[in-house]
Formats: sequence, C-alpha cells, structure tokens
Amino acid sequence: MSTFRKVCRWLHRELGFFAVGLTLVYAISGIAVNHIHHWDPNHTAYTQTWTIEPTGVGETDALAPVVLERLALDEPVKETWRAGRELFQVFVDDGTIDVNLVTGEVTRLGHAKRPFFFDVNFMHVNKGRAPWTGIADAYAGVMIVLALTGIFLVKGRRGLSGRGGVLMGLGIVLPLAYAVIQRLTQP
Amino acid sequence: MRRIMMTIALLSLLLAGTALAKEKVYGKGVSEGDFTKISTILADPGTYSGKVVRVEGTAVGVCSHRGCWVTLASDKEEETMRVKVKDGVIVFPKEIIGEHVQVEGVFTVNKVEEKCDSTKKGEPEVKCTTLMQVSGTGALVNWK
Repeated sequence: MSTFRKVCRWLHRELGFFAVGLTLVYAISGIAVNHIHHWDPNHTAYTQTWTIEPTGVGETDALAPVVLERLALDEPVKETWRAGRELFQVFVDDGTIDVNLVTGEVTRLGHAKRPFFFDVNFMHVNKGRAPWTGIADAYAGVMIVLALTGIFLVKGRRGLSGRGGVLMGLGIVLPLAYAVIQRLTQP
Repeated sequence: MRRIMMTIALLSLLLAGTALAKEKVYGKGVSEGDFTKISTILADPGTYSGKVVRVEGTAVGVCSHRGCWVTLASDKEEETMRVKVKDGVIVFPKEIIGEHVQVEGVFTVNKVEEKCDSTKKGEPEVKCTTLMQVSGTGALVNWK
C-alpha cells in the first residue's frame, strides 16, 4: 500500500471517529429544520384556558395590578401590555397570557424547548454565532478531508476507476442537475 | 493529552460565557443615536418612509417558526410596529416576547394590494392595506 493511501486511511479513520457526533447533530437537525413548515422543531406548544373575575375596561395603570392579582401567578412577570381595549397581555418566561377584560376569559399560550432538538437545531442554525462559527468551519474542513480521503480508500473495480467512480459521479451530477434545472425554470 | 484537555476546558468556558451573556446583539446591532418613538413614526409615516430609524419597545409578537420578524409595542397603547429581518440573517428566538428590544433599520410603507390604486369606476372597491414596518438590519436585546 502506498504511503499516500496509508495517510488517507489514517486521516479518514481518525477524523471519521471524531466527526460522528457533529455529523449526527447536523444530519438530524437538517431533517428537523427542513420541515419547518410542518412543525416547530424547536418548541412544543400548549394552551390553557380559565376564567377570572372580569375587571372591565378602564385605565391600564389602574386595572393592571388587579388583573395580576386575580391571575395569582406563581412565576415572575416579564412585562404587561394593553394590546386592545378589551385585551390585556401578560408576558411570562414561557409564553403569553391573554386576558379578556370584559369576559374574564384567560388564554395562556405557552411553549417549552423541545428536548434534544432545540439544542441540535441551535448548533445547526448557528444562533449563537461566534465562537460556534469557528467550530462549524473546522467541522466543515474535517468533512472536506473525509470526502477527499474517502476517494482513495479502495482501489480497483470497487474504487475510483470502477463502481466507486460511478457513484461519485452520480453524487456530483444529481445536485448539479438540480441546480441547473432550478436556474432554468425559476424566473 | 493535557493540552487537549486544557483546550477543551477553555473552549467550554468561552461557549458558556457566550451563552450566559445578558445583552445580545443581533445582526449589525444598533448604532449610537437618539431613538424615535414608534407613535411619532406611525403618526407621520410619510416623513420617515425610506429613512433609517432606531426604535425600541417590548416584543409582543414573534415569528414562531423562523424568527424572521418581531412586533414591538409602541409607547402608545394598542399600537405596534412590525420589524422584519432577512430570513436566516437574524433569527429572533421565541423567548424574546416580553423583552425590551432596540432595533435599527429602514422604515417602509407599502400597500399590500398591488392594484389598489388602479380600481376603475364601477368596479367593486378593492380594500387596500398599508403595511408599515421597519426592515431591521440589527437589534439589541437586554435579556431579563
């Protein structure tokens, strides 16, 4: 086995093990975020409704403490907002509480971070920006090395000059064809 | 091995420090200068149309899936200002609701119905909606 092929094998093996974690992160969150139109991949949502004694419409400064007292929340309130003549909103850590001042109907729209998915999506979308940008760039570099060294792992009929070459060609042609069709069909 | 462990420890500390930061800048952030009241802009949109503005207020709405817009409460009750940002460039988290947000961007006034000005006589009147928003280039949030 030539020295070049030995180096390729060594690099592919070592970096391959190292890249398993982040590859799974990007692959799983990739599927999750791809379907963002169908579901919220980051949060689960819940709705609660109940009724309090209505305060009626009036000056916000006067009714706000009364509403909060009647809601009897056992959590900190971030902010309140008079969204409409009859609608008073209370913002808490996990969502919004809508209070109808005339009927006393209360609707709580809450959300919670979806376990596992929130974190992998956070990394994938790079919401944290630096220093994650550096880590993501380094990971992309590792993927490039894995792709290039992978080409030279096997030689012969199953390698680049045989079936491997055909599969590699397909892998390049398919996205390229999609890109060309997109360019031609999109205005 | 010791060096690797030290590097990992330092990186972890750096990541934790970033995650715990109370003040968070989105996009290009907000440059120094006076803030214009949302009510002032909405009272006279023509004056501010196409101009760079800095506004602030409590976030009372957010794009739940993509985080590509946020609605700020005006200094006047029952009045809000929508801030639209480029998809993926700035992503407002769902938890931003109830937080104080400062935004910088270009204020725009657009009519939603394209043909709303060209209604001919005799044709039923097309209801025309005017969409006023800030095309945000940056934001600053002081997380509570």
